Amino acid sequence: MPDIEPFSPRGMFHEGWTAEVSDYAIACGWALKGKQFIVGDVAGGIFAFEGDNGKIIWEKENTHSGGLLAMAIHPEGEIFATSGQDGNVQICNCHEGKVIKTLDLGKGWVEHLKWSNDGLFLAIASSKKVYVFNEVGEEKWTSEDHPSTVSAITWSNKNELATACYGRVTFFDIVNNKTNQKLEWQGSLVSMELSPDGDIVACGSQDNSVHFWRRSTGMDAEMTGYPGKPSHLSFDDSGKLLATSGSERITVWSFIGNGPEGTMPGELCHHTEPISSLAFSNKGMLVASGSRDGSVVASFLKNDGNGDPVGAAFAGDLVGAISWRPDDCALAAVNAKGVVNVWKFKVRTNLFSKGFK
Amino acid sequence: MSIKDKVPVTILTGFLGSGKTTLLNRILSEEHGKRIAVIENEYGEVGIDQGLVINADEEVFEMSNGCICCTVRGDLIRVLGNLMKRRDKFDYVLVETTGLADPGPVAQTFFMDEEISSEFTLDGIVTLVDAAHIDQQLGRSDESSEQVAFADVLVLNKTDLVSDDALNTLESRLRDMNRMTRIIRAENAKVPIESVLNLSAFDLDQILKRRPTFLEPEYPFEWTGVYDLDAGKYELMLEEGPDPEMSLVALVNQGESEEELKDGAESSVRLYAEKANTLEPGNTIPYGEHINLKLDDKGNKSFILNIEKPTKIGLFTQHTAEEFNMKVIKREENKEIPFNTERFWQAEHEHDDEVGSIAIERFGDVDPEKLNTWMGRLLSEKGVDIFRTKGFISYSGNPRRIVFQGVHMLFTAQPDKEWGNEPRRNQLVFIGRNLNEKEMQEGFDKCLI
Repeated sequence: MPDIEPFSPRGMFHEGWTAEVSDYAIACGWALKGKQFIVGDVAGGIFAFEGDNGKIIWEKENTHSGGLLAMAIHPEGEIFATSGQDGNVQICNCHEGKVIKTLDLGKGWVEHLKWSNDGLFLAIASSKKVYVFNEVGEEKWTSEDHPSTVSAITWSNKNELATACYGRVTFFDIVNNKTNQKLEWQGSLVSMELSPDGDIVACGSQDNSVHFWRRSTGMDAEMTGYPGKPSHLSFDDSGKLLATSGSERITVWSFIGNGPEGTMPGELCHHTEPISSLAFSNKGMLVASGSRDGSVVASFLKNDGNGDPVGAAFAGDLVGAISWRPDDCALAAVNAKGVVNVWKFKVRTNLFSKGFK
Repeated sequence: MSIKDKVPVTILTGFLGSGKTTLLNRILSEEHGKRIAVIENEYGEVGIDQGLVINADEEVFEMSNGCICCTVRGDLIRVLGNLMKRRDKFDYVLVETTGLADPGPVAQTFFMDEEISSEFTLDGIVTLVDAAHIDQQLGRSDESSEQVAFADVLVLNKTDLVSDDALNTLESRLRDMNRMTRIIRAENAKVPIESVLNLSAFDLDQILKRRPTFLEPEYPFEWTGVYDLDAGKYELMLEEGPDPEMSLVALVNQGESEEELKDGAESSVRLYAEKANTLEPGNTIPYGEHINLKLDDKGNKSFILNIEKPTKIGLFTQHTAEEFNMKVIKREENKEIPFNTERFWQAEHEHDDEVGSIAIERFGDVDPEKLNTWMGRLLSEKGVDIFRTKGFISYSGNPRRIVFQGVHMLFTAQPDKEWGNEPRRNQLVFIGRNLNEKEMQEGFDKCLI
């Protein structure tokens, strides 16, 4: 990678374990409450590792013909779902990787999967339609065709699903089969994040802006001036800060007080190439970013959105996905070469004094 | 990442039934050792046999500012974004668009989307034309004109169904619409694979190599002959030709080098701009004047050239000498004097179609700031009507030439090779609808230092 010297973990990143999967790793996540780490690669390989030491538990190849597009681990961590270009969704058991149910949704790519926070529903976006299934794979709800391909889905509360597509965000009550709210904006929305209380809807747009709405007031605003399209968005667990990026810079908007309208955002400039993944820790104001240059950095943020790096490591190649362990005591990054890196992240709090056990 | 490391993409357009699928199948089945990914969004035609074929939806996204020249294809971004991750498995991408599609949003995707443009490079646009039906289509739909205007290569297919004369007429009509394009005739879409892949179509050097005159200005005359004449009386004799009259400017002391010929041409353009004096057969031709030879009588017609002392005479004629079998004959000896040098010029065409191309060529440096302002305004006002832009320019103070290419309002400019000893100049081509050549040339001239 240009301008980046390989370096070993620094700051609060400490040696953990590394492993390899067969192809470009595009999805990852922690299962069984952090005991297991699952990685999906672009060719449809799925690999489960022991969370502490990276020992392989099971692996499967070619789970989706044409390739894998998305993976979502159930909040309880016992099962997970994958989807691909074959128009299928598979719900599998984490312990053995055994397929519990295959859902055939037709010809279109299945690009987005999200479990509801209580784990009762799995939302699936395929082309212009969104489907909701329960844990055992029974269909519970199907949307009408959206005006264009659904570009993002997320749950706002246990029965309410938000979808983004070209020109609009829609909130569906999937239990009573009705539309709760439609937020319209003529623009190509490419990403969506909701604040933890579900009130703020933030969307990255193809024309290099972030558009957001406050559901309670119906007010909307647009943040422009991004050098690239903001494909990566993440709210911290309190909903105070929204980290956004489509370039090598991370722009952080603070919703404290009257912000972010009319305020200067915080800026983090740690990478030499555009950000390829972005995630706040499960608790607290720590944001981790992975870049096309192969570097991974964790930064501690202040209320105004500015902050300082507290840990960094070099993952070797374009970072395909990053994931904080549920207790935030480890950070995982998977890359375009199929390399999996898990670093211990030592935070000394009353609850977690030692990092890795 | 340099342009060489990026995966090249060819866009294949053409009306339904023009033979796109046949061409695709030919490309895929040929032995070329390349793994080609095909992104297609047309259903219902003959299926594609081999290769990695992915269906796309043709989902066009307009930007929030409503600017239709910055639309992109959302489906392509998704599909290419995914292909990007599998790049070790293929080395070329072909995007087939439906017969009714405007190639603009497809091409713009490679300029507008940073992730896509960092990994892929638009190598060229190939348009298939059904020789038997395109004539009607050009009159009827905007899309077919646009597909012609966007093309780097036009494959004139099904030539076996049309006469040679009709093909020639069609080819010249297509060329009027798009001066940059390369036209290949084909039966059953049988074209050499290298003529549609790896075109480096945005490489203006290649285009110039192929068609050295395409950037030349259009002159009101087609031909110049330079005759070395002693003192005496000569006759300019013309047989019956395609026109009942022909404009001409005769210049004395006309040099024969390329530079002198171009000087003569510039002077003649100015003279041609003046009203022509009509000359009846038997009259004497004045020098340095715009005249119009009356040729409507039957048989041979002669006009007189008086030479007082030995000189070189340059005749700048509206049509080529060949068309009238034009000869210079020394009266006393009744002997034909052949020309020493002849030069053909890119002649003015009458543009029947609204879609056309214009070229600007100027020596010297431009002021980057002025050029930016001019180009910015031109593209924001006329972006909808300007389909493609290509060229290279000489920025003052920059040792390297700047190469640029654009689609509608979007363009990229990047430094290219060093000028070295080459004279510094600017060459630009615009293809679009209802372009005002004079206005654009004047606009560009103001950017020169």
